[in-house]
Amino acid sequence: MKAKKIAVIAFSASFLLPSLTMLSGCASNDIILRVYNWEEYIDVGGEDSYAATEEDPEPLSVVKEFEKWYEETYGASIRVEYSTFGTNEDMYNQLKLGNTYDLVCPSEYMIMKLAAEGMLEPLSDEFHDPEKENNYYAQYVSDFIAERFEAEFDIKGTKHKWKDFAAGYMWGTTGLIYNPSLVNETDLAEGWEIMLNPDYRNKVTAKDNVRDTYFVGLAIYHKTELLNLKQRFEAQEISRQEYTREVTRLMNDTTEETIKNVQKILLDIKKNIFGFETDTGKSDMVTGKIRLNFAWSGDGVYAMDLAEEKGVLLNYYIPQESANLFFDGWVMPKGAKTEAAEAFINFMSKPEIAVRNMDYIGYSSVIAGEEIFEYTLETYGADEDEEETVEYDLSYFFGENAVITAAKEQMNRQLYAQYPPEEVTYRCAVMDHFGEDDAKINELWTKVKSESLDGWAIAVICIAAAVIVAVVLLSKFGGKIDIFRPKPKKGYELVKQESLRK
Amino acid sequence: MKLRFSRKTLCIPYLVFLLFFVIFPMLVIVFYAFTDQNNHVSFQNFLLFFSDPTKLSTIAYSVVIALITTVVTLLIAYPVAYILARSNMKKKSVILLLFVTPMWINFVLRVNAIRELLNWVGLLGEANYFNTIFGMVYDFLPFMILPLYTTLQKIDNSLYEACADLGGNAFTALRRVTLPLSMPGILSGITMVFLPSMTNYVVSDMLGNSKVTIIGKFIETYFGTDWHMGSMIALILLLVVLISTAFTGGFKTEENVRGTNL
Repeated sequence: MKAKKIAVIAFSASFLLPSLTMLSGCASNDIILRVYNWEEYIDVGGEDSYAATEEDPEPLSVVKEFEKWYEETYGASIRVEYSTFGTNEDMYNQLKLGNTYDLVCPSEYMIMKLAAEGMLEPLSDEFHDPEKENNYYAQYVSDFIAERFEAEFDIKGTKHKWKDFAAGYMWGTTGLIYNPSLVNETDLAEGWEIMLNPDYRNKVTAKDNVRDTYFVGLAIYHKTELLNLKQRFEAQEISRQEYTREVTRLMNDTTEETIKNVQKILLDIKKNIFGFETDTGKSDMVTGKIRLNFAWSGDGVYAMDLAEEKGVLLNYYIPQESANLFFDGWVMPKGAKTEAAEAFINFMSKPEIAVRNMDYIGYSSVIAGEEIFEYTLETYGADEDEEETVEYDLSYFFGENAVITAAKEQMNRQLYAQYPPEEVTYRCAVMDHFGEDDAKINELWTKVKSESLDGWAIAVICIAAAVIVAVVLLSKFGGKIDIFRPKPKKGYELVKQESLRK
Repeated sequence: MKLRFSRKTLCIPYLVFLLFFVIFPMLVIVFYAFTDQNNHVSFQNFLLFFSDPTKLSTIAYSVVIALITTVVTLLIAYPVAYILARSNMKKKSVILLLFVTPMWINFVLRVNAIRELLNWVGLLGEANYFNTIFGMVYDFLPFMILPLYTTLQKIDNSLYEACADLGGNAFTALRRVTLPLSMPGILSGITMVFLPSMTNYVVSDMLGNSKVTIIGKFIETYFGTDWHMGSMIALILLLVVLISTAFTGGFKTEENVRGTNL
C-alpha cells in the first residue's frame, strides 16, 4: 500500500542487490533466503536508524542483523537475497514469470489472490504457538490484528483463515489529511462526500489507483446504510462484530448495479477534484495547493511531520461512514524454504526490531510489544507543560492499561493516524480481492480515467487525421502533379519544358 | 585459423544489442498481444480494442494532443532556428546552448519546476489539457530546434542571392528557398516530437494531475493488471508510429535527409 516510489529506485535495487550479494561471495553451503518486499519498507541501519546510539552510531541493517541472529540461534549460516517491488501487481507478475522467492510481503487483497490461485505455502502450525521459543510473532502480535487474521475467506469452496497463510507486518487506514485552517469542521462531517462538495473544487485529491478510489465511491454510494449501521451500533442494537461484518460486506459490494452507480459518482468526483495522485499529494498539502488529500495513514503521518517542520499544521480524519483497513503481510510462495522464512518473520516481529522498522517506514507495526508502546509514548506522549491533555486509550491494541496521556491536538493528528481509537476501528473494513469482478472494476477505472468521446467525435478526429495525411502526402508528392506547381511567368515556358523532359 | 577483422565485425556488438533488446522484446510483446490469460492464441484483445469506445477515444485524444504539441513546437522552433542559423550573430552557439541546456537537467526536475510555475500562474488543476500540452512543448522544443538549425545552417547563401537577383522578395525567399530546403529538418523534427508526445505520460500525470489520460498511461495501467491487453495497445501504437514514420519520410536512406547531425 505504500506510495509508488520513483521507478529508478526499484530498478536499481532489484538489479543491484542480488548482484552485489553475489559478488560478496559466500560459502556455497549457506542457506539462501530470497525476500521480496516493498521499496523502503525495512530499516537499512546507518546513523538515521532508530537503533543508532552513542556506542553504536551506525547499526547494521535489519537484514544483516537477521543473518547474525540466525547463525547465533540456529547455528547455520544464512544469506538473505533481498529485492524490492513497487506495486502489488509488479510483484504478482514477477511471481508469475517464474521468479522464486521464499518470502513476499504483499497487501491483503493480493495475499487473497495468491492464496486463491494456490500459489502460497501455508504457515506451519508451530508458527502460531506462542509457547515455543523464538516464536516472536505469536508472542507479540497485537490482539487487534490477530482477531482480524481470524477472518475467513473462500478458496474454491473451502474456508481459509488469513492466519493460515499470512503473518502481518504493517497496517494502516485510509483517511483524509486536511488543513484545519482551510477546511470547515461541518464540511468535514460530510465524510467522503466532501470530494463532491463544490466549495472544495480543485482543492481535494483522490488516489490514482482503482481500489482506493472505488472504495471512496462505494462509501458515498452506501452512505445512508453505513450511517444507519453506525447509529444502530451506537444504540447497541447490533454488536461490534456484527457492525464490522456488515460494513465490510457493504464495502466489498461489486454487483453490476453498484458498479454502474459508483462509476457515475467517480465521474462526478473527477470533475470536482484537483486530480488523481500517488506521490504529489503530500507535498501539495504542505505547499497549500490543496486543502484535503485522500491518504494512507502512514503517508498522513509523514505529511503531518513534514508540514510541522514548515510551520503548517495538518490533521488526519477517518470519515464517519467507513475507512479501508489495510495491511501488508508476509507470505511464502509455493516451494519456499519455510523454516528459514518463518524465522525471518519471527525476527521481524521481535519488538526491538519491529520498532526500528516502524520508525523507518512510518506505518504502524502489527506488533504490540513493550518497546513499541514505549516508542509510541515517547513520540506522542504529552510534554509536562502541555496545557490540555487527553487520555488516549490504546488497550485494544497493546493490552490492558495501555493509555497514553497526549496533547489534545493528537486526537486529530499523528497518534490518531497511527493508532485510531478503538471505536473508529469498528467501521474500518478490509477490502477483499475482487476475484472474478476484477475485470469489471478495471473497466470502470479506465472509463473514469479517460475521456469518453461519442462516436461522431471519433469520426471527426479520424476525418481530420485523414485530411492531415492527405496534406502531408500532397506536400510530398504534390510537386509531381502539375496543378500544385507554381505557375511560371511568361518566357519561362522553355525552361519548364526542359525540366519536365528531364 | 587466423582471426580476420573486417569492418563488418564492428557491427557485431550492435547486432547483439539489437537482437536482445529490440527484436526479442518485440517478439514477446507480439506473443502477449495475441494470447489470452491462459496463453492460448487469441484475437480477442484486438477485437476488444476496436470495439471499446474508451480505448478508441483515448487513442484519438492522444493523437490530437500530439498533433497540437507538434504544431505549436514547430511554430515556436522554426523562427528561433531560422534566426540562429541565418543571422550573423556573434557567439550564436552560446544561444543555441541555452536552448539545449535544459535537456541536460533531469526531466522529472524540470516537470516539477513547470508544475510550480503553472501553480503560481493559477493554471494547475484548472486547465489540465493546456498544461499537458504546455509541458510537452517545453520538453520537446530542443528536439525540434536542433534538426531545424542544422538544415537551415546548411542552406547556401548564394541561393538567397540568386533569389534576390531574380526579383524574389523576402517572402518569396522563405517560400521558395528556405521552406523547401529545410523540409528534411521539419520532417525529422516532427517525427521526434509527435511520437514521444503520444506516450509521455509523466507530463500528463504531473501537469494534468492524472486527469488527462494519453495512450502511454493506458498501456501502463493495463500492464498492472492485464499484460495481454497492454501488449496489444502497445502493438497498435507501434502501428500508428510506423504509419506516421512512413509519411514523414523516416525510411528514406538518402544522405542528409534527417539533418540531425549537429
